[in-house]
Amino acid sequence: METLTSGLGEYRFTDPDVIRAWMRDHKRREFVDKTLTEAEAVSRYVADGDYVSFDFSSFTRGPLALIREIIRQGRRDLWYCAKFTLMESTLLAAAGAVSRIDVGFMGLGDTLNRAVEAGGVKVTEWTNGTLTLRLLAGAMGVPFLPTRAMLGSDTLKYSGAKVVRDPYGGKPIALVPALNPDVGLVHVHQADVHGNARCFGPGVSPLETAMSARKVIVSADEIIDPDDIRKDPGKTTIPYYMVDAVVYAPFGAYPGGVQGLYEMDFEHFAEYNTLERQGKLKEYLDRYVYSMGSNTEMLEKRVGLERLNALRRRAVVREGYR
Amino acid sequence: MTSPFTEAEFMIAQCARLLEDQKTAFIGFGMPQVAAILAQRLQAPQLVQIFEFGAIGSEPLTPFVRNTMGGPSNCYRSLAWTSMNQIFAQAQLGLVDYGVLGATQMDLYGNINSTMLGEDYARPKKRFPGSGGANEVASYCWKTVVIMMHEKRRFVPRVDFVTSPGYLDGTPGARERAGLPAGTGPWRVVTSKALFGFDEDSRKMTLLGVLDGLRAEEVLADMDLKPLVAGRVESLAAPTEEELRILREQIDPTRTIIGRTARP
Repeated sequence: METLTSGLGEYRFTDPDVIRAWMRDHKRREFVDKTLTEAEAVSRYVADGDYVSFDFSSFTRGPLALIREIIRQGRRDLWYCAKFTLMESTLLAAAGAVSRIDVGFMGLGDTLNRAVEAGGVKVTEWTNGTLTLRLLAGAMGVPFLPTRAMLGSDTLKYSGAKVVRDPYGGKPIALVPALNPDVGLVHVHQADVHGNARCFGPGVSPLETAMSARKVIVSADEIIDPDDIRKDPGKTTIPYYMVDAVVYAPFGAYPGGVQGLYEMDFEHFAEYNTLERQGKLKEYLDRYVYSMGSNTEMLEKRVGLERLNALRRRAVVREGYR
Repeated sequence: MTSPFTEAEFMIAQCARLLEDQKTAFIGFGMPQVAAILAQRLQAPQLVQIFEFGAIGSEPLTPFVRNTMGGPSNCYRSLAWTSMNQIFAQAQLGLVDYGVLGATQMDLYGNINSTMLGEDYARPKKRFPGSGGANEVASYCWKTVVIMMHEKRRFVPRVDFVTSPGYLDGTPGARERAGLPAGTGPWRVVTSKALFGFDEDSRKMTLLGVLDGLRAEEVLADMDLKPLVAGRVESLAAPTEEELRILREQIDPTRTIIGRTARP
């Protein structure tokens, strides 16, 4: 296959046989209780320097409790898959946890943009779709997948994609390298203790995120009985053997919402936006992350039952989300 | 006699009028969402809205809620909930008629920049959030509509960075030569003052219409690039009472999107 051009961006790539061996050796097929606290799960499965990916966004079904725990534990030098990301990528950068970002769309506010301008965070250009396609390649165990996106653009020039001549049809086609993150984080509506997980509603890539990653932490708003999974298998989004840790995290997407369960907290985002614009995200992190020992403590002391109940009441559209 | 209206209201109404009933349309964040809902409330009740996180055929609840694009209000009464890989595959396959996007900066050939300003990629003078899903939308949809505030600095002869492809260098077949799906590309640019298309041969942006009461020269003076001008420049009607009523009473009563105006 003739290579026509190669993007200049740095990218993460792992030989599919290395990934296969990992999946053979580390993904447990035994039905064991994998529940951990968020502190235990992050301590065990997220290391400095890891490549991290997660599903959906800080507005909807994002793993915000796990993100806050990563910040609380002071992880450094993470490489981050920023597809469809908003508050989460900004908070990680404000906490100094990130050194590289694969950009689909980064950040809520200008904090990350300023960090890139100052050279504090390195970026490689991609798009939301091609980052998700890279996860699909990683999830399929193939080294790359073709796409007709990015062609002709500077996005491709500064990505890690290659343009080759399609060996069947003869036209130029872009190839994106498989992405197998060290860590995949997915917040779900329901999971059982073994890791079988259900998300309802549209999602960016819950299955690809879990399937492609070496270490997967699922946080769940509700823990359900394993027998419930077998009674309605069509609802299973992620099968248990892909999952390394299950964290019971009610309101685990807060301040975002989870469809059919609770709405996002607009007042909280307004507070965040104000602090972000004033360059005071350190204050935000002190208030909601560093001064709190857990997500539960944060919800109790910084949000409160009354407000959480109000967010539940605002979730009036429920059809399809169970 | 029409009521006073904001620049955003004009752009949204103008964009909504372009969208046809029973067609599929990839809808971007912000103004495109409001335009698509307005089109559904008027001439296109069965406009099939498609979002990058995988929702198909949503009939968003109003008032429109900014931010929660993937949430239950915006995804209300969808036909299907899929995923990002699935939905971009459908667009790549040719199933999506329109793409509707906002943009930071555009050049004469409709190339879109939402990545950075400056000469040197490694040292951006100003960094923006990046492509998001816009590159896919601009690459795959049959007709791309871009909504932009009509500000001089937004329309430049060459963008510093081609985030999402227009007609690239404007040479015949440039998109196809790059490998992009044949017969796609920017189709209309809706601004707060005018409507543009792209010339079939030169692929240059072409002034098609100006807001009723404005002169073509005024509109062109507010651009750093020099578009072609159609033989007959049409007069674009101001938002109607009905359009304004739906926008203000149903879709965006807090005026978060429709209240916007251009910077001087």
